[in-house]
Amino acid sequence: MSEHPIVLLVEDDLERNRWTVLFRWLLALPHYVWLGLWSVIAFVAVIISWVATLILGRTPTGLHNFLAAYVRYATQLYGYVYLAANPYPSFDGKSSYPIDVSIAGPARQSRWSVAFRAILALPALILAGALMGEPSLGASGNRNGFGSYALYIGVLHTAALLGWVASMVRRRTPRGLRDVVAYALSYGAQLSAYLLLLTDRYPNSDPLTALRELPSRTDPVEMEVEDDLRRARLMVFFRILLAIPHFVWLGLWGIAVVFAAIANWFCTLFRGTSPSALHRFLAAYIRYLVHVYAFVYLLGNPFPGFVGGEGSYPIDLRIAERGTQNRWTVLFRLVLAIPAILLASAYGSLLSAVAILGWFAALFTGRMPLGLRNAGALALGYLAQTNAYLLLVSGAYPYSGPTRPSSQPPATAAALAPGAPSLTGSLDLGQT
Amino acid sequence: LISARHEPSAGASRRSHGQLTAAALALLACAAAWGLAAHLLWRSSVPGGLSLPRVDPRAFFSSSFLSRSASYERFLTIDGVLADVTLLLVLALYARRGQRLMRESAAGPIGTGMLLGMLGFALVWLAEIPFTLLGTWWERSHDVSHQGYVAALFGGFAGLGAKFLLVSLALAITMGLARVLRRWWWAVAAPVFVGLALLSSFLGAYLIPETHAVGNGGVVTDAPTLERREGVPDTKIVVQRVARFTTAPNAESVGFGSTRRVILWDTLLDGRFSRREVDVVVAHELGHLAHDHPLKRVGWLALFLIPVTALIALFTRRRGGLARPEAVPLALFVFVAAQLLTAPLMNIVSRHEEAEADWSALRATRNPAAARGVFRELAITSLANPDPPAWSYVIDADHPTIVQRIAMVEAWRRR
Repeated sequence: MSEHPIVLLVEDDLERNRWTVLFRWLLALPHYVWLGLWSVIAFVAVIISWVATLILGRTPTGLHNFLAAYVRYATQLYGYVYLAANPYPSFDGKSSYPIDVSIAGPARQSRWSVAFRAILALPALILAGALMGEPSLGASGNRNGFGSYALYIGVLHTAALLGWVASMVRRRTPRGLRDVVAYALSYGAQLSAYLLLLTDRYPNSDPLTALRELPSRTDPVEMEVEDDLRRARLMVFFRILLAIPHFVWLGLWGIAVVFAAIANWFCTLFRGTSPSALHRFLAAYIRYLVHVYAFVYLLGNPFPGFVGGEGSYPIDLRIAERGTQNRWTVLFRLVLAIPAILLASAYGSLLSAVAILGWFAALFTGRMPLGLRNAGALALGYLAQTNAYLLLVSGAYPYSGPTRPSSQPPATAAALAPGAPSLTGSLDLGQT
Repeated sequence: LISARHEPSAGASRRSHGQLTAAALALLACAAAWGLAAHLLWRSSVPGGLSLPRVDPRAFFSSSFLSRSASYERFLTIDGVLADVTLLLVLALYARRGQRLMRESAAGPIGTGMLLGMLGFALVWLAEIPFTLLGTWWERSHDVSHQGYVAALFGGFAGLGAKFLLVSLALAITMGLARVLRRWWWAVAAPVFVGLALLSSFLGAYLIPETHAVGNGGVVTDAPTLERREGVPDTKIVVQRVARFTTAPNAESVGFGSTRRVILWDTLLDGRFSRREVDVVVAHELGHLAHDHPLKRVGWLALFLIPVTALIALFTRRRGGLARPEAVPLALFVFVAAQLLTAPLMNIVSRHEEAEADWSALRATRNPAAARGVFRELAITSLANPDPPAWSYVIDADHPTIVQRIAMVEAWRRR
């Protein structure tokens, strides 16, 4: 399959100006007004475009260019607002910008796909909700009058918030966070283009193809993906129920892990390194967690084993031998882990969306879509790294962005199409 | 050389003959022990020579009710039989082909066995969906159940989760034992399961959802007297909320020792039954506890499990024994088939215990009119056929028929 007609271009150097970062959302206000006006016109234009494309089988060039400029402008603006780029964007959607979108010219589109575009886009909208959802506060009450509240923030907003803090402190945004934002923007741009009839190619959720250049990393906690995307329908249908014995076992193992983690904290604090037995025990638990989650969230097909053995599951975690850790970071590990926990929580929403969409897809086709699988693997990898960091299995801070698979040569990530055999090989999603 | 070859062969033949005799004797001893245990469990407080008078159901029920209840139960029984046949067919097919699903597992032999066990029940659940929906439709159309179709399906789905957990645990135990003890795993597995059943019976009271303390004045006042008469003082009586799902009244007794409980469905206390009639039901459940029926049920389970586990061990030998996951589908089939085949026998045991609880309730309440009334009302509200045909009675009835229960009331009154 050819490259997606909507490609995000990233020329950002990660440098950030503290003043513009501090007032970023206020500085963007004029752009929001302009975007609002533009959106009204774009709404009218897309209705005309829908009728025209239905009749002609392709979008008229004038309308296509107008809507493409709108998508480019919106992406540039969001790139600025969410700190994926530093300079103030222009208002025309045509000038180049460090976060930009390349949109192919008008091409023939299936009339059926045009006619039912809004319905067809529903799964992509669900995924976009998890990836870019607006922050919201959920509240629930019980009969005793006590309520519980939960804050839901999408991956994009969480990464932007953390990027904001990091940029304020370091005048530089971390690569991982920038790439997460760029990944979300890329998906958003592809979804917008699909909805605005600029293309009939479905948005691709694969984080490995969202960006043209991905960093190559070797990290102490690495995901390894050897999954062939095939799914047994019977096992897909009963997935949650089949996982019940694993949930019970996880719960029992989790009790032991609490005590082991406390012991590990004391030992690592005094010795600077984790005791070998505790390291092995906790590493096996995290690996088992990954195996079970991969099974539950449909990232892997087979029923996992109960011991978290290395190399025993197609979605696996390679954990390096114990190393020396900075005692200060050990002492304040819980506090230091808060940003990672926030992002991991947002990634959890993405994982749930992947599982729901993947469940339907796998049930009907017997295969898990590659993009969904890789999006889930990215999220799960980050969850695993966060656990490893929290449990002192690793002293390295979790790396939030996608990384280049070891089997993939540099600068070819975008060229890898969904279903390409090489992606069924190893996938590294390392940490920082 | 020839003679040297033949001599040990003759010795081996003598040995094997001796072994055969020993095995036959051991089997005989086991059968005798089994029979003795069954005899002890069968003992009842119902007088041995009690003969039940002939009762004409038309004296208690209208002919339209008799015909309606007969048609209602006939449909449900046939639906149940068809579901059981489907269950057997699906599991038989699964026993032949289920091992192919081994490739869907990255777990070790025991984990793979657990997966195959769960998938077997998953297939059965799928195959039984039409029968579940038919049964729900029939109960709804006769106003016996309020449960919606989605709730019936998803309730079954949630129940399937519990079944998965149980089958996983059971297979983890049996396969673990089979890996260590090889052919003799069943000799240890059966007592282990009996122990677990005992534990489950003891803790069963805590596993029943949506219960609350009884607030019915009549029950609160009369229960201590009934408990004293039955010889089970201080037994806790609780109410379970089921009215959302069904209009059928029911009650049960669970636990033993400090956990013994009588559980009354709230449909029993909605005003359709008089205070004295509710007393009969409470006394009946106390009668179960007084005669140690929860414990006896575990005893009967032991008598069922010992030969069945041995049978499973025997059948699965051709697939390398239960230590190997490929034997699991066959083991499932053997277990379920044995369960279905012995169901009529277990029904006999159950009816025997129910009759004893009825007799005990009559002695405790000393109110045959109330007992007669409650049995009549139970039949009407549950649309139970008071005098079902013999085939349905043998296959399905785990309680004496309403006619038999009324006959027992008459026998008590005349004694």
